[in-house]
Amino acid sequence: MTMTQKAIGQNEYVQRTLKDKQEFSWKKFFLQWEWLLILVFFLVLVINTNLSPFFLNGAGLRDATMIFLDKAFVVFPMVMIMILRDIDISVGSTVALSSVIMATLYNDFSLPMGAALGACLLVGALCGLVNGLLIVKFKELSAVIVTLGTMILYRGIAYIILEDQASGNFPAWFSFFGWGNVGGMPFILIVFSVLAVVFTLLLHKTTFGRQIFAMGNNTTASRFSGVQIDKVKIIVFTLAGVMAAITAIFLTSRMGSTRPNVATMYELDVIAMVALGGISTAGGKGRMIGAIIAVFILGYLQYGLGLINIPSQTMLVITGLLLLAAVGIPKLNVSQKFKRFRRKQLE
Amino acid sequence: MSEYVLEMKGITKRFPGVTALDQVNFKLKAGEIHALMGENGAGKSTFIKVITGVHKPDEGDIYLNGEKVEFSSPIDAQEVGIAAIYQHVTNYPDLSVTENIFMGHEKVQKLTGRIRWKEMHEEARKILRSLSSSIDPKAEMGSLSVAQQQIVEIAKAISTHARIIIMDEPTAALTSRESEELYKIAESLRDRGASIVFISHRFEDMYRLASQVTVLRDAKYIGSWGIDEISNDALIVAMVGREINQVFPDRNGELGEKLLHVEGLSKAGYFADISFTLRKGEILGLTGLVGAGRTEVCQALFGIMPYDKGTIELKGQKVRIQSPKEAIKLGIGYLPEDRQLQGLVLQWSIGRNITLSALKKFDAKGWLNEKKEHAFTKNLAEKMHVKANSIFDLVSSLSGGNQQKVAVAKLLTAQLDVIILDEPTKGVDVGAKTAIYEIINDLAAQGYGIILVSSEMLEVIGMSDRIAVMRAGRITKILDRETVTQEKILEASMADKPKKNVG
Amino acid sequence: MAESVIDNSAELPVEKKTSKLAAVSKFRELGLLAFIVLLCVVVQTKNASFLTIGNLTDMITNTAILSILALGMMLVLITRGIDLSIGSTLALSGMIVAQTVSVYSGLNPILAILMGTAIGVACGVVIGFLVAKIGILPIIATLAMMNIFRGLNYTVSDGQWISSYQMPTSFVSIATSKIIGINTLVFIAIIIYIAAFYFINHTRTGRQIYAVGSNPESAKVSGINQTKILLIVYSIMGGLSGLSGVLWVSKFASAQGDTASGYELTVIAACILGGVSIAGGSGKISGVILGAFLLGILNNALPLMNVSPFWQMAIQGSIILIAVIINTLVKRGVDRNNLLRRKI
Repeated sequence: MTMTQKAIGQNEYVQRTLKDKQEFSWKKFFLQWEWLLILVFFLVLVINTNLSPFFLNGAGLRDATMIFLDKAFVVFPMVMIMILRDIDISVGSTVALSSVIMATLYNDFSLPMGAALGACLLVGALCGLVNGLLIVKFKELSAVIVTLGTMILYRGIAYIILEDQASGNFPAWFSFFGWGNVGGMPFILIVFSVLAVVFTLLLHKTTFGRQIFAMGNNTTASRFSGVQIDKVKIIVFTLAGVMAAITAIFLTSRMGSTRPNVATMYELDVIAMVALGGISTAGGKGRMIGAIIAVFILGYLQYGLGLINIPSQTMLVITGLLLLAAVGIPKLNVSQKFKRFRRKQLE
Repeated sequence: MSEYVLEMKGITKRFPGVTALDQVNFKLKAGEIHALMGENGAGKSTFIKVITGVHKPDEGDIYLNGEKVEFSSPIDAQEVGIAAIYQHVTNYPDLSVTENIFMGHEKVQKLTGRIRWKEMHEEARKILRSLSSSIDPKAEMGSLSVAQQQIVEIAKAISTHARIIIMDEPTAALTSRESEELYKIAESLRDRGASIVFISHRFEDMYRLASQVTVLRDAKYIGSWGIDEISNDALIVAMVGREINQVFPDRNGELGEKLLHVEGLSKAGYFADISFTLRKGEILGLTGLVGAGRTEVCQALFGIMPYDKGTIELKGQKVRIQSPKEAIKLGIGYLPEDRQLQGLVLQWSIGRNITLSALKKFDAKGWLNEKKEHAFTKNLAEKMHVKANSIFDLVSSLSGGNQQKVAVAKLLTAQLDVIILDEPTKGVDVGAKTAIYEIINDLAAQGYGIILVSSEMLEVIGMSDRIAVMRAGRITKILDRETVTQEKILEASMADKPKKNVG
Repeated sequence: MAESVIDNSAELPVEKKTSKLAAVSKFRELGLLAFIVLLCVVVQTKNASFLTIGNLTDMITNTAILSILALGMMLVLITRGIDLSIGSTLALSGMIVAQTVSVYSGLNPILAILMGTAIGVACGVVIGFLVAKIGILPIIATLAMMNIFRGLNYTVSDGQWISSYQMPTSFVSIATSKIIGINTLVFIAIIIYIAAFYFINHTRTGRQIYAVGSNPESAKVSGINQTKILLIVYSIMGGLSGLSGVLWVSKFASAQGDTASGYELTVIAACILGGVSIAGGSGKISGVILGAFLLGILNNALPLMNVSPFWQMAIQGSIILIAVIINTLVKRGVDRNNLLRRKI
């Protein structure tokens, strides 16, 4: 009996048929990092509800969403950048610069608000493009040092434009971005959801996304395979700039005015969300959905802690610790077994 | 005390999917220069790494002067007087020559721990002088030529009082004058009583220096002979393990029209004045010593290394190739030399690797059609006889030969006319080699024009219709299949120097 | 031992091959110096109050702290790392020391300095542990710690400032007193330059820092304990930040929640200007001091030339980018020259 089975097996081997259907495995399905994230997410909700009875009523949840979602737009391209094994620490400054230019064009140059919005997006795209071009043209430099330089430069330009002034007085309809609801849903949540779907599909279902993963695993082999590695990088960094500009629009709208020091240290929150979402700093691995869940974890956590009057400065400590935990725990050997599972499910 | 300074018995080392060393024995006498020979992938490098403590053997024992030793790290090996000089120099480019020589055993003041620079520079100068070198000990390592850096590495070995010095293809990147200097140094080290293990592809090196030769083949120990005890033919048989004609499939394809014509291709510092023609169905061998510029020429044709001068004509059309994407579009494919670094994404499945260079095929307005992709890769991987269970198996889990088959399958996804194969059988076991030869032959028969880059003379001779030999960035000779011999190739690849009877 | 190998050394041609890269780096320090002189001349012609004793002293004391920090950052950059947390470490140490002296006004200034340094070392050890032991990327680890230390600083201070009137004169006078005729800040800085020079050029540990950055793989084979080296480097960086925290608070006579926020970027700029390679392995004290002084002069000169202080940040960002790009281009030129000299 055993012999026959073996013989059949060998026979198959000689013919060398390869399976082209991936078998579904419940074990694999449940051993995904995202389940852990979902667990943590509900934990945060439960804790928040216990801390404050106002949290779970619709208004509380909605307000929370409006407040933390704006910085989450940058998470989408940052996932791609970190899969590429790069980093962009200039996004906070890009938010500030595009916001300041938008406000100045409207207030001091009397541009219509629509045009100012367009300019905002353009400035963001340009900032990202400059990052991308510098990184691609000067391959000897790391993305860390390039974006460190532009981080100072972009915010510096914002300071030149507005000095230490604030600029506001936007038309009334502009507040719709930050505060508006469509059919009971915050407008920002709708935009976020649409972009979440778009970016998830872009990363996981398109040629472009496949190329990003290839580059993150092995840039040289990707180049030898005809992937236009420079083009991919420039596009991804430009996307980061555009998303920073969208953040600028929602943030400015919610706050009603802008200053050159807005969105300081946004990059910490964004990178923390991405790392928490299971995107490895070693590149090549990760899923958009993880980062999206992480956005809500961190957002509700911050909101909940705000409800019980924990000062925002303490939030810095908590966010920092979360980031360290997210990148540090997978590196500890205690979780060797877990790591092995994770590697398997990310195949 | 034992007759041998170093004795290794039954060394076995396994890596996932491949046995790199299988019961290898080795004996080294004091004051001996011992050549270690074998084809690419025979296990020489792994063996060296076992001696130097980089790899721990799975089985077998190491005896030093008759005493059993175990190395848990390279430092252990260094401490008992084993030093290695690698082909790719491993040093600190930003530090001075003196520091490179004394790194790890600096001379310091007893109490204060202050480095005694003066003494170290003086000592470094002395050692370098004794090696007939005038390198300034204070110069930055990164500013030296490869040959000079190698001399510094030897100086380092001397400064640690190494008794066993291993040289891993030290002449590969050197000119013959520089090689001759190296030979002299090796001999003087021997005369001082040091034992030297010398690894080289060049028969010339071996005849010039060694008194004993040990041959490895396909990870196994084949034998060890005194240099006078074994004829050249016997040595080749020992290394290759078969008669030449047996392994290679017959070439009987018809040559078609002109496919690729390269004229005067040059790149400053790498190659100059490269001209050749490739026909449909032809296999053009491209050989020469490592560092002769073969890979660079191929990479220029594939758009990776921009060339300064010259023209490339493809099917009668002048083309200017600036990126791999363009090259593939024009019909030129390239199988890189370093499969793991340049050829494949090891962490990826077979299927994804195969389609990486041809994602366009499964792309409808940017969306990937994965179903189509899976069917396509299944088909192609089966055609290449890749041994695996499914197309979702990771490439890193495959053996070298199977990885190479995946890399070749990857080439076949595009509409190509010219296929450049850079060392396609490097690190592949014998069985898989034959399979790859058959694949190459099939491709030629289908009408592809093939450029086969290889350091293995027998492979080039057995496979090619014509053979271009490169030396120091230039093509020195193009030889025909009918008249080619190993001597002629060797002569062309080292033409600037009269040599001993080889082959 | 090696003397008798081959004895034909007498007829060796004396090669006069100076290292290309060394030549370039020498050139760049001279260039930096020339640029500083030129800048001074230009500023002086625009505003005669620039080269006065008072202004120069002010400038030098200002630059002292920057150059101390830049020395530490140089070591971090040499190991291929980066430390974004030093501004926060500086603030935290400054705040704790300021609070201490505001309560115990009799505290000896030297003890205050030691206390600040110890706090800094503790912060640095944490970062060193994260980077060297756990293996977190320096950029991520220090970004997180930057916020943690900053948050702790706010928590410790409870949002309150410590102002000059709360500090004893003995403490505030650290920055104004003199030792053998030299301002104490400058004196401390000089001591640190000398100590650092000895450490990185004349001790094994110092040289191993360069080795680790120049070629980490070889360093492993040479038996260098990388974990130890990284721990030492980040601890030194922390210690210098802590020390600078005390000096800073003493000099500006106030400790705030946002003290030195973003200062790490100025420090990194000074290093890059001074020719420290961000790819690791190279960097010289003389270069870093010059880089720090150039930034110090620039910051001092801009207001004198009626340039709005709001330009300062953008100028600094441009300087970083331009400096790294010029470094890259010079290196490419050298490499290309070497290639062209290869005969084929």
